Amino acid sequence: MNFEHCIRCTICVENCPVFRVNPDFPGPKQAGPDAQRFRSDREKAEDEWVLLCSQCKRCEMSCPCGVEPAQIILIAQQRYGREHPHSLAHLLFANNYYLSTLGSLTAPIANMIAATEMGKKAFRAMGISTHIPFPKFRFRRLHNEKKNLNRGRKKVAFFYGCFINFYRPDIGRKIIRLLSSLNVDVVLPTQWCCGLPALGNGNLELARSFAKKNAASLSNYIDAGYDVIYTCTSCGLCLLHDYPGILEIPQGKKIAENSYDIHEYIIKLINEGYIKPNFGEVRRKIAYHIPCHLRALEIGYPAAKLMTMIPELQYEILDDACCGLNGSYGFKKSNEFTAVQLGKRAVSLIRKTGAEDIVADCGSCRMQLGGISGMTSLDPAEILCESLGIKDQK
Amino acid sequence: MSVTEYDVIIIGAGVAGLTAGSLLAGRGFKIALVTSGEPTACLSTGCIDLCSRDHNPLCGIKNLPPEHPFNLVPEKTIRESLDNFQAAMSEMGMPYVGTTKENRLVLSALGTFKTSCLVPSTMEAAPQDANDSIHVISFSGLKDFYPSYIISRRKNTNFSVYDAGVSSTMGIASHFEEKEFFEKFIIWLEKIDIQEDKIAFPAVLGLESAVEIVKIISILMEKPIFEIPTIPPSMPGRRLFNALKDYFRKKGGDIYWNWPVIGVEKSGKIIEAVMTASKGRPNSLNGKAFILASGSFVGGGLTATREAIIENVFNLPVHVPGTCETWFDNDYFSFNHGIGRAGIKADSSLRPTGSPWENIFVCGSILADTEILKNGCGHGLALATAHVAAKSCMEYIR
Repeated sequence: MNFEHCIRCTICVENCPVFRVNPDFPGPKQAGPDAQRFRSDREKAEDEWVLLCSQCKRCEMSCPCGVEPAQIILIAQQRYGREHPHSLAHLLFANNYYLSTLGSLTAPIANMIAATEMGKKAFRAMGISTHIPFPKFRFRRLHNEKKNLNRGRKKVAFFYGCFINFYRPDIGRKIIRLLSSLNVDVVLPTQWCCGLPALGNGNLELARSFAKKNAASLSNYIDAGYDVIYTCTSCGLCLLHDYPGILEIPQGKKIAENSYDIHEYIIKLINEGYIKPNFGEVRRKIAYHIPCHLRALEIGYPAAKLMTMIPELQYEILDDACCGLNGSYGFKKSNEFTAVQLGKRAVSLIRKTGAEDIVADCGSCRMQLGGISGMTSLDPAEILCESLGIKDQK
Repeated sequence: MSVTEYDVIIIGAGVAGLTAGSLLAGRGFKIALVTSGEPTACLSTGCIDLCSRDHNPLCGIKNLPPEHPFNLVPEKTIRESLDNFQAAMSEMGMPYVGTTKENRLVLSALGTFKTSCLVPSTMEAAPQDANDSIHVISFSGLKDFYPSYIISRRKNTNFSVYDAGVSSTMGIASHFEEKEFFEKFIIWLEKIDIQEDKIAFPAVLGLESAVEIVKIISILMEKPIFEIPTIPPSMPGRRLFNALKDYFRKKGGDIYWNWPVIGVEKSGKIIEAVMTASKGRPNSLNGKAFILASGSFVGGGLTATREAIIENVFNLPVHVPGTCETWFDNDYFSFNHGIGRAGIKADSSLRPTGSPWENIFVCGSILADTEILKNGCGHGLALATAHVAAKSCMEYIR
């Protein structure tokens, strides 16, 4: 670990969204490299405040010395999780995949219960925040979708992630049609939760068991000549960063080398001369909120690159503010204040641009920003579909 | 057609890199900027020092030693670069005051004066001599800001302390942008019977809307208000960085965060692409020309080992001032540490001398013989040399 490289310049502290609003969190410098000097394997972890870190990775993106405070904190979080009993909310969110499977199987009832006052009270009693409505489950998951083969030379395995699968399978279906319109074969490999929610809730073993299953499935496709495509930037970060890293997945390196963000992949195809998409007009004025984990992927902002090619589209990139939700982080009641404060700030920056719609790659960012602002929030792929004339299919 | 093919790739997101990038992007070139982390500009006071050795900064520059890189920049370009900077900052809602004719004084947290050329408008009202009476507002628990230091050095100075509920620079600054907190604070402020002419604050008056906040307090209190720069985390430094970054993007530039360059693709005398480490697999960006603005030691442009000083990106020849024993003066606080002269030597078009590459230009604090601390010329030199590098780049591409 490179914590010794820290020169205490505090640039990470300036970038930490949690530190900005929650004085209980000592900030990435103190929670990361500073505290690391005092962490000993012979003592029980007592640094409960590490759980306040939302793992947005902004500190790592800003550090001029290559220190990875979020990674140091992530390891401390896993250790704390190992040595202390987990709260109910932590347990529930770590197992979000199984709960969501249940939720979508009983979608009409589950959604109805979640929307009632009683349901909300129950959520709060379990330590779950209700500051924005809980996303609605969809009975027809993307999981059940057929593969789409038109014998293109390019073949991809689509790692769609839980958000698309359980809550917005319509976006998933659009992406499949988008890719096939670009002459790319799409298959939907057998997949589970990427493991990030479990990791974020201090449950390393559960995360690893998800990751192992996914890795076995994805690895087979890669061997058969498929590229892996992800659309959720947090799933992507987990595949690229945590599989070969903290989760120590043997096939991790191979998966990291062969996985692409969907927009990054489309740009790759354009650069290779494989496709020449004819982007049509999109008359919208949008604020493109950059999810923290898209930044952390270190691939630039590929969707923004594609948006420059769309005629009439007015967009402004906003990458200074974290939306505050961070997946399950902001849904925990203990983090509700932080999440709401950060969300409001992000929304006020969006409002300043005069945009009509919000665009963000990450489902949880869209949920938070849309929920707080009441504005329409779209996936960049939906903008591409609009530009290329790909319609919703019932 | 390639989407990731650029005219110019800039390495470094500091004042020099972002300025060169905005200039080129403004002329219609396709620009990408890669950076490994955020620049040391964030740690600065946000003031633009041009040359602090003389009351008139341009006269000060004339008296610099002949090897100083300012001698590679025509005076007209220096003035133009500062004018452009002021215009850009006004456009971004963060105006800077000052002229190249005379330096201004900025009151420091120790009660001493710092000399600078252009200062953020939030520091405009800072006293220019020892006479103004000042009331300093501090915040309980705020580290390294003790009004007693200022009072011990100035007559007619008083202070009050406000409990903001948080004690970090970031925390207080973000509170100032909340309506509720601000109203409560103003009620408290109005209750203190301030007799002094001016009110001073540590530079924590908001992040995005500092200019507005200073204006409002000053109208409500009917007195000039000014900020005193703090040690990092420095809000004025971050505001400067954010404004430059947003301006660059507004001009159409692309920023690639956390792309440390790990290798280059070259052919003959030309660098064709820079490769960067990123999650998963290395990425590369193609460009016709490259501007190296990676900063000095703290910024990450240079690394010193016991034997040599290395330029980290292109491995350019580094001008090393004598042997390792002469790098440091015996006095820690001395301005004459030899290592302050280390860097890249360049010709008048800011091409590095002695390098085999013809499409690299350097600017900013990575240049040799700058002695930035001694000459008080950091951001000013960055602005001026960025202009020269950008012009050379344009000529080269044409």
